[in-house]
Amino acid sequence: MSDPGRYYFRFNLYHRILHGMVIVSFLGLALTGLPLKFAHTGWGAGLSHALGGPFTTGYLHRLFAIVTFIYFGLHLGYVARLVLRRRPGVFWGPDSMVPQPHDLVQFSQHVRYFLGLGPRPRFGRWAYWEKFDYWAVFWGVAIIGGSGLLLWFPTFFARSLPGWIFNVAIIVHSDEALLAVGFIFTIHFFNGHLRPEKFPMDPVIFTGRVSEEDWRHEHPEEYERLRREGRLAEVAADPPPLWMRNFSRVVGFSALAIGMILVWLIIMTALG
Amino acid sequence: MPQGLRRALVAAAVLGGALLAAPAAWAAEKPTAEDCLACHADRDLKRETPRPGRPVSLFVDGAALKGSAHGGLDCLTCHTTATAPHERLPRVRCADCHAAVPGGLAGGAHGSRRAQARAPAPTCTACHGTHDVRPAAALSIDTCATCHAAQVRQYRESIHGTSRGRGDSEAATCRSCHGAAHGLRAKSDPRAPTYHLNLPRTCATCHADPELAKRHNIAVGAVYQLYMDSIHGRAVTRSGLLVAANCSDCHGAHDIKPRTEPTSRVFRASIPVTCGACHAGVLAEYVQSIHGREAARGNAGAPVCTDCHSAHQIRRTEAAPWQLDVIRECGTCHAESLRTYRDTFHGKVTTLGLARVAKCADCHGSHTIQPASDPRSTIATANLVATCRQCHPAATPKFTEFQPHADPTNRARFPGLYYSWLFMTLLLVGTFSFFGLHTLLWLPRSLAERLGRRRSGAPPEP
Repeated sequence: MSDPGRYYFRFNLYHRILHGMVIVSFLGLALTGLPLKFAHTGWGAGLSHALGGPFTTGYLHRLFAIVTFIYFGLHLGYVARLVLRRRPGVFWGPDSMVPQPHDLVQFSQHVRYFLGLGPRPRFGRWAYWEKFDYWAVFWGVAIIGGSGLLLWFPTFFARSLPGWIFNVAIIVHSDEALLAVGFIFTIHFFNGHLRPEKFPMDPVIFTGRVSEEDWRHEHPEEYERLRREGRLAEVAADPPPLWMRNFSRVVGFSALAIGMILVWLIIMTALG
Repeated sequence: MPQGLRRALVAAAVLGGALLAAPAAWAAEKPTAEDCLACHADRDLKRETPRPGRPVSLFVDGAALKGSAHGGLDCLTCHTTATAPHERLPRVRCADCHAAVPGGLAGGAHGSRRAQARAPAPTCTACHGTHDVRPAAALSIDTCATCHAAQVRQYRESIHGTSRGRGDSEAATCRSCHGAAHGLRAKSDPRAPTYHLNLPRTCATCHADPELAKRHNIAVGAVYQLYMDSIHGRAVTRSGLLVAANCSDCHGAHDIKPRTEPTSRVFRASIPVTCGACHAGVLAEYVQSIHGREAARGNAGAPVCTDCHSAHQIRRTEAAPWQLDVIRECGTCHAESLRTYRDTFHGKVTTLGLARVAKCADCHGSHTIQPASDPRSTIATANLVATCRQCHPAATPKFTEFQPHADPTNRARFPGLYYSWLFMTLLLVGTFSFFGLHTLLWLPRSLAERLGRRRSGAPPEP
């Protein structure tokens, strides 16, 4: 039997700090960017005004963009460090973020499970939707960040690129941002926090610690693998202290609330 | 005849003669109207004047006098020194009775030395008549026309004059604007209601009333309030500028006509010239522009000054609120261009109230606006780099390949943009459809999972 009081590390401090930077910069970019995209709406103009007007929101948007570029760089550095230290399984294997055949198998198993045609797949360290979330951010930062830089320094890029690239950049930046905001504030929130098994939120990204019960439910293959290899002690953790759980709740619920309000506004605008 | 009877008859005759002669002797000092008219009822009674051949009639129309405001008075009330017969009498002094009035006249334009030196001079009798004395209420515009014929002719054709002619008792007459005749001041007098700085308030006595505007079908109800807040109104009333437009600078004074009349100064086609009376430099630019040329050709869609600047709410063009509002104004005709502009960074930022980024006129010019095909145009290919460099000092020819009015849904004109847009749209629709369905299918299973865990009190064994 598993002990609900036993905890294991799922995310180290570096992971958590980077995800904290993602939360802050993403919410900041959404709050300062959406008023421009929805400038024609009352809430867009009101939010822009509340945040100090278009000049200030533009300034803050670039500031959060810098935070984004920093965490993107820090993450690439982290991966590079793993590679240089010859850590195995960065690009393939059960601990890798790279999509692999078993992800496709597990996806089809998951769909069968949805339809009541089979058991719940035994997910490893990264379930296929978690990998999608990771690559969505990776792709999103590259695309939105790249198009954002084009629009930030147009005359610099126009030395070598034709001016219509900025027309493309406007569309790409804006639509990709809408995709990112819509995806994170609905799909990622549901997968990670709001789905009934985890409702109302999963604090693991803030505490880094997962209870044995939750671990074995969410990532049974990984748990079994580590137990088999006798490596459970390597990731054994103390239970998250009260301050950490409170911190998780405050930050987590704030982010959830901001995200859901924004996505509600977007949906209401889209429905006209 | 007996001696006694004859004596008695003579005595009676003498007495009778004396009795008859007595009133005649009294009349020699205080003549009655009857006495005066004995001579003055003669229509041909004249007096020679220093100018030969221009005698002055001394005829008095007794009936007119009886019917006049002075009908209850006798001749001596005015001609105090008259006897019968008499030599030339001194001038009648109206002020002996009407003490309050002549002082006012002396203080006003009609009493000025210059006015009084004119012929005919605006004396009491020139307006009120002599023996056929008319009270002020009986005087009409015709009285003013005696001297101010040209102005009255203009007035009669004006909206005020024609309205009066139709029996509109609210329409302005001479006095409505100039004040009562006795104290009337010339418009050069700072105390005059028609003085440049006072005129708006004078017009406002009627035109500040929205109810009046409604009654008379005047389109702009709060015209005075709007004007007073405009750059012209502030310049006149706050800065006291004589060169800033007041009501009459645009609408005219005696010849005010509604803007629907082709002879009106504010008739659509005449507006550039009316504004150009002061803004001559702008007019010279405007007539060369595509807007000016089209307007001159009679294109009713071409904007004149007031379409962009408004008539009574004219604001400072350097100020952000106007610069942002006028974008919408351009869009009333150039709807498609406004729509595509609003898709760009420039258009969105201006929507949010920041005027620092490019607005219509920053690229296209304002009074000098020309189509891109015109080599003088700021958006002609040869001039584009310079135009962009106003804000982007490092702009290159490549930079100007940016489409400030792109429509990504137009595949024929913007193929690259169209496919980018299509790709992004499909990506969004695809992703949200896929994961939307994924979530919907997962939700009931996840709910069952949670309920199952709670019931068993332990995670289900895999």
